[in-house]
Amino acid sequence: MLLHILKYKFLSFLKTTFDPRMVTAIRGIGSLLVFGGFGLVAYVGSYEMTRFIMEQTRIGLFLYHRFISMMLFVFFMAVNMGNIIVSYATLYKSAEVNFLFTKPVTFTQIFILKFLDNFLYSSSTLFLVAFMVLFGYGSYFGYPWYTFLGVLVGVLVPFMFLSACLAVLVLMSVMKVASRWGFRKVMVVIGSSYAAFVFLFFRFTNPIKLVNKVSMYYPNVDQYLVQFDPGFLKFLPNNWVADFLFFFAKGEPAMAMPFAATLLLVTAGMFGLCLFVAHRFYYRSWLVTFEVQASSNSVEAGRRIKRFDFRKESILPPQIESLLKKEYFTFFREPSQWIHLLLMAVLVVIFVLSVRNLNLGVRVTNIQAMTYLVLYAFGVFLSCSLALRFVFPSLSLEGTAFWSQRSSPLNLNKVYFLKFLIALALVMGLALLIAVASNIPFVALTERRPLLMYFGLFSAVWVSLSLVALNLGFGGYFSNFQEKNPIRIASSQGATLTFLLSLVYLITLVVIISVPLFRYFESLFLFLPFDFKIIVVPGTIFGMISAAVTGISVFIGMRSLQRDF
Amino acid sequence: MIELRHVTKKFGSFTAVDDLSLVIPDGEFFGFLGPNGAGKTTTIKMMAGLFSPTSGEIILSGFNTATQPIEAKMTVAYIPDQPFLYDKLTGREFMYFVGGLFKMRKKEIREKVEELIEHFEIGDWVDKRTEDYSQGMRQRTTIAAALIHEPKVMIIDEPMVGLDPKSAKIVRETLKQKSREGIVVFMSTHSLPVAEELCDRIGIINHGRLAFVGTRSDLAAYKQKFDGKFESVFLELTK
Repeated sequence: MLLHILKYKFLSFLKTTFDPRMVTAIRGIGSLLVFGGFGLVAYVGSYEMTRFIMEQTRIGLFLYHRFISMMLFVFFMAVNMGNIIVSYATLYKSAEVNFLFTKPVTFTQIFILKFLDNFLYSSSTLFLVAFMVLFGYGSYFGYPWYTFLGVLVGVLVPFMFLSACLAVLVLMSVMKVASRWGFRKVMVVIGSSYAAFVFLFFRFTNPIKLVNKVSMYYPNVDQYLVQFDPGFLKFLPNNWVADFLFFFAKGEPAMAMPFAATLLLVTAGMFGLCLFVAHRFYYRSWLVTFEVQASSNSVEAGRRIKRFDFRKESILPPQIESLLKKEYFTFFREPSQWIHLLLMAVLVVIFVLSVRNLNLGVRVTNIQAMTYLVLYAFGVFLSCSLALRFVFPSLSLEGTAFWSQRSSPLNLNKVYFLKFLIALALVMGLALLIAVASNIPFVALTERRPLLMYFGLFSAVWVSLSLVALNLGFGGYFSNFQEKNPIRIASSQGATLTFLLSLVYLITLVVIISVPLFRYFESLFLFLPFDFKIIVVPGTIFGMISAAVTGISVFIGMRSLQRDF
Repeated sequence: MIELRHVTKKFGSFTAVDDLSLVIPDGEFFGFLGPNGAGKTTTIKMMAGLFSPTSGEIILSGFNTATQPIEAKMTVAYIPDQPFLYDKLTGREFMYFVGGLFKMRKKEIREKVEELIEHFEIGDWVDKRTEDYSQGMRQRTTIAAALIHEPKVMIIDEPMVGLDPKSAKIVRETLKQKSREGIVVFMSTHSLPVAEELCDRIGIINHGRLAFVGTRSDLAAYKQKFDGKFESVFLELTK
């Protein structure tokens, strides 16, 4: 039965992917070019970064792999939280599940189908990125060609799969408890627990302390200095992967294998546990969603006058008021929207708190310029993710009910720019917060010279404008009014393409600012005069590129609204 | 008044509507019939502004939908074949939302919403979010919302689908009443008895072209050529 359904799902996938129409072919070629380009950039970036860290900063194999472990931890948590939210939609709200429950298919089979669907759909781009990063990293350490595939299939995929299994287990537990405590309360508890876990992880692994301890062993920094790890670390899968890579890079594959075996065994066990829990609880927890929905949708609750209620008078013109209130209610009544926003806001707060008190003691040009670029890139990356998740789906989420706006006496430019402004307020607000926080340590380092802070603010404004325009415009171009799940829209092919374009934009910005930045730190640390003309040309190019991205994207987005509905 | 002038709609090489011309005066109840895929919904979507015609012109209440779309839409009530609503809004909120899009003042909306809730007997559940509505509840909410701004033209695609007998009766009577008040009603339907009962004039479309246009008396005369049944006429014209 399972194979029978999978066969038809695969056929449907093939038909959609290899649609012979010209438009699809052009889109396909475009995607291939962008994906290919991105893969290449990921490869070169990973190779060069590894080379730089190993040869220029010389921090040693152990420290480098501990940083990889930290990145893998963030990656694991991101995949995990993403899967919790996506799984809610695929396992509990999908029309396909409703259909399959009426057919002679077991609950476990339906669970496996939707779980795989969910995992493969939401992780395909991550596979590409992970593989190309691994390829770049492994090429530096001279991995034989066949080991790349082995590490991908035997280590990276199980690592991501384990994260997804854990996510589904958490979700099924949430659904079970939600019927008693209420969905919102449970989600707030889960969100707070995750935030606390991330906070504690970084508190106990403390990268700065680790650097100081490892430095004492210089030049023997390629040793396995496991005595510096806090005890709990050996139970975390990110550490198993990092230790596997460490021994592989050291040329000791026999030492690496136990870590891969542990990961594979734990992943298999976790999947088995998932199936067991699904067999017992999936159908029952699916029924709970109806209880939860019914309890949160009563006539009495609907009759109460709420904040921003449609019945309340407003000073705004009627069309603007209607559109704004519709946006507000459709967003805050959809759990997958506000929960995800809350999680991303928590991530931003963690980032801001960690960065604000960063101690940048060393007055070395290369280190400070690189630190600035990494922090800058990470800040823009957060904005890219935020825009992809919340701005890209915003037009598609009008859904099949969009007819009510399309057939009313409403200038569609109003709809477009209202969405643009709402998204801009969100993205720019967070981008400014990140820019201020990440520039505070550098202002302190440069004896209160405000130039970098001004640049941060200038950049935050332009980057937010461009990213909102790009995501809204391409979100309109690739709109899918049939899909109700915002996360599926944000992980569709069009969304991935848009995200890759955002990353190309990010890399371009990093390249543009790198030369004046190095010069600035150089002049500062070597007490040389800084020629401000150096920033005029890159600043102008920065502004022009951002303006072009904004203009072209707005044009594409507005044109998309003229299409037949 | 509704006027279609040589309207054509093509999707690639497929012609969905082919050189369609029609004039429907104020107060007339026009029934638009045809088999599946004949071009009914495409025609209606062009009139509602959801599709743009490949060629030809559509004039609603004297406004050209291509050059004066806002003015044209201001006079129109459109009811789609599928009553899609915003799941997270209640029926009442959807009606306020539509009222706002038609630039109505809050007081006007409030009065009209209360009147429509009572008229369509939807008060028991109009304050629940529409995600829990049945097809009939959605349909009644959509029709109520469409009437909120006192339209001059009503364009309706399959209004009786999913309605229980009582709701269908309310809708039939409402549409007939609106027609009597001078509003032009353009209704697509698959139900031949409904068309015969309500419509002043009937058009039958097949393969994107009008196969028949005539009043009820024209139809009655035409029926005599067959076995006296509308069904036989319809089947013959759409062969």
